[in-house]
Amino acid sequence: MSGATVGAPEQAAVSRGARKTILLVLQVLVALAAIIVVIGAATTEGFFSVHNLQAILASVGFVGIVAVGMTVIMISGSFVSLSLGTQAAVTAIFFVWALKFGVAQAIVMTVVVGTLLGAIQGYAIGGFGANPIVLTIAAVAVLEGLVVVFSSGGTQTPPDDSYTFLNSTIIGLPVTFFVMIFVVACGEFIMRRTRFGKSTYMVGDNRDAAYSAGFPMAAIGAGVFGLAGAAAAVAGIMLGAYNQGASLLLTGSLTYDAIAATLVGGTLVAGGKGSVWKTLVGAIVIATITDLLLLRGYSEGVQIMVKGLLVITVVIVVHLRSQGTRA
Amino acid sequence: MNDPVESRNLIDLDAVSRSFGAIRAVDGVSFQVRAGEVHALCGHNGAGKSTVVKMITGLVQPDGGRILINGDESPIRSPQEAQRRGIALVDQELSVVPILTVADNILLGGMDEPFVNRPRAARARVRELLDLVGLADVDPTDSTADLSMGGRQLVEIARALGRRAKLLVLDEPTATLSSNEIEHVFTAVRQVAASGCGVIYVSHRLDEVLELCNRVTVLRDGKLVDTAEAKTIDIDQLVSMMLGDIAPAPVPSLPDAGRGAGRAVRIKDLSVGTRTSGFGLEASHGHVYALAGQVGSGATEVLRAMAGLEPTAYGLVEIGGKRMRLGSPGAAVKSGVSYLSNDRKGDGLFLGLSARENLISTRLRKVSRGPFINMAALRKTAAKLIGIIRIGTERLPEPVLNFSGGNQQKIFLGRTLEVPEIELLLLDEPTRGVDVKGRIEIHNLIRDAARDGTTVIFASTEIDEILDLADDIVTMRSGRIVGRHPRGEVDTELLLAEMTHGRPEGATS
Repeated sequence: MSGATVGAPEQAAVSRGARKTILLVLQVLVALAAIIVVIGAATTEGFFSVHNLQAILASVGFVGIVAVGMTVIMISGSFVSLSLGTQAAVTAIFFVWALKFGVAQAIVMTVVVGTLLGAIQGYAIGGFGANPIVLTIAAVAVLEGLVVVFSSGGTQTPPDDSYTFLNSTIIGLPVTFFVMIFVVACGEFIMRRTRFGKSTYMVGDNRDAAYSAGFPMAAIGAGVFGLAGAAAAVAGIMLGAYNQGASLLLTGSLTYDAIAATLVGGTLVAGGKGSVWKTLVGAIVIATITDLLLLRGYSEGVQIMVKGLLVITVVIVVHLRSQGTRA
Repeated sequence: MNDPVESRNLIDLDAVSRSFGAIRAVDGVSFQVRAGEVHALCGHNGAGKSTVVKMITGLVQPDGGRILINGDESPIRSPQEAQRRGIALVDQELSVVPILTVADNILLGGMDEPFVNRPRAARARVRELLDLVGLADVDPTDSTADLSMGGRQLVEIARALGRRAKLLVLDEPTATLSSNEIEHVFTAVRQVAASGCGVIYVSHRLDEVLELCNRVTVLRDGKLVDTAEAKTIDIDQLVSMMLGDIAPAPVPSLPDAGRGAGRAVRIKDLSVGTRTSGFGLEASHGHVYALAGQVGSGATEVLRAMAGLEPTAYGLVEIGGKRMRLGSPGAAVKSGVSYLSNDRKGDGLFLGLSARENLISTRLRKVSRGPFINMAALRKTAAKLIGIIRIGTERLPEPVLNFSGGNQQKIFLGRTLEVPEIELLLLDEPTRGVDVKGRIEIHNLIRDAARDGTTVIFASTEIDEILDLADDIVTMRSGRIVGRHPRGEVDTELLLAEMTHGRPEGATS
């Protein structure tokens, strides 16, 4: 049967012609920007050096690890978690504190705590349909409050230097980078090759359908956010080690950078489509452009603005394209 | 109605074509619609009807040929432009907003509406439109949520007319309506045509087409078969035009009774909220039960309750002797219930995912070892299933939203096939928006599932379907059971009577 065309006519907000034009203009802009980046790179002293390449890849590490979790959340249709950066900082503090039990024990304990922190939020979101944005904002407040209660808000310093191997480099790249590669590989495998991963894509594509078909929504929600929490905890461990101590200040712009990487990697905001390794590509693209702007001496303001423009452009292109395939 | 033969052409399709990728969806189709006529567009899912409709309404541009509106051949670039040039679409999926008033819904989206609403003038205009479509007893300030599905469909037609449309395109306007609601739509359509508009009427219901329309254009595989006067052909001829050389499969014969002894499912005093109550049924293995009722009869609620989707449901549902917990879809699935909603796009399919993923979505455990997916088993299972539902294996990786309505429904049903754990299959309008051929195929698949021992309960508003498919028929009205009949002991008339004005069981108590 030849039925490739039939489906309810979509009520498009933008007319077909306008959409094509916008898409074309944006794609030309992206191509132009890419050319500018390449020319900029070629004419910037020190860009094509082993040292700079190492610097770029090294800077991807923390964001890349958190972004794996963010990607899984977005694929599951729960938009984003605004608490992942805070979770990374909180688990960093926990890790530094837990080092007194030994470094291996501390790593395991931290990942378990991180997973639980995420899973609790995910259970509420998946099981009771809590709004992920609101719930994760609340989670930030709760976590920060807890940390202040238990550590009076100061910087936690490590009891010994058993953890310093986490700061070493292998072939010029920090351990964090390899940890990130490992986390990405795990994330990609889980999403593609496990029952949980497949279910996550289905829930993200059509939540109502998954519910009607009897999918365990609470368990899947807990799994998704638990996985993201585990990734944030791994980032927390590396952050704690890197900074030789931890406080809430470590959060920085981690949450938003992870969202940016996920979006630039082409994950659909509405869920159901995306992949962990593409998010890694997104993170590297952002890091490369940031690095270039840095080398050419642009201010931090410009760097942030360019990052924002990049995210907006990609989001619009992805959105228009996904509409195109639905026509 | 005046004879439209002499009238001018409102719209003239001249060798229009359109391809999507390698597929030629519409290939050199020509036909004309005259002022004052109701013109049917028939064909199977995938024949190209929807694409033709989309080209006329500006949603898709032709890549060959031209469309003349009142002799003007400038292209219709957008739905807004189509509206400006007097074309209005009434879609098969309702687009009224229930929380708004009837008047607001009719004025919604009209480009001529003033930015600041002038309520009194608007109300007078809405009144006129409501009278025209036969909603004389509906007040413009009524809430749309209080209208029946048919009423809402009429509101949509009124909306289209309110835009001073000269050509009204109705895409499956009666797909979700019950028989007496359909009559209202017919009356409205006739009045609209009598006022000098042209109507393009897309429908799978061939008896409707012949009753209502002046001329019929039949498409097959994207090509024009013929345009005929409705008076000159009968249903059999129309079917053979649509099918081409493929003979329609015979109506499935009566199943052998007594197969699979013993009760599989026992339902007692099942109630949902305050509207549906006292439903009871004892169902045995391998039998197909129909819940026959018009929209709002409560049949849908009964199915949803058994699927765990109605939190307010209470009563007894036993499957294989074990009582099932109500109100949880997960518990229902564990008890062996599988449910296909009447809204495959809403809470049915995973539209953005591939046919393969949709087919295995209900049996992820089957294709896994521990928590890990066995990709080889997954592919094999999906290939086998797509063969059973007779779609080409090469379409497995395609996202489901690319498929026609009939094929989507087959994939939806395919999810539940060959899952031995399924004891009870619940289907709500299993062939809604599906063409004749797809319908026969779907009926056969349901029969096969029953033959393998599954108990099937389906709800339908279509009498033909009920008589074709069911072993036992339970008629419902106003949330209660009216009558129970084994197959062969009822006819169309009795069914229709019970569905429309039968006295519910225990209504006096």
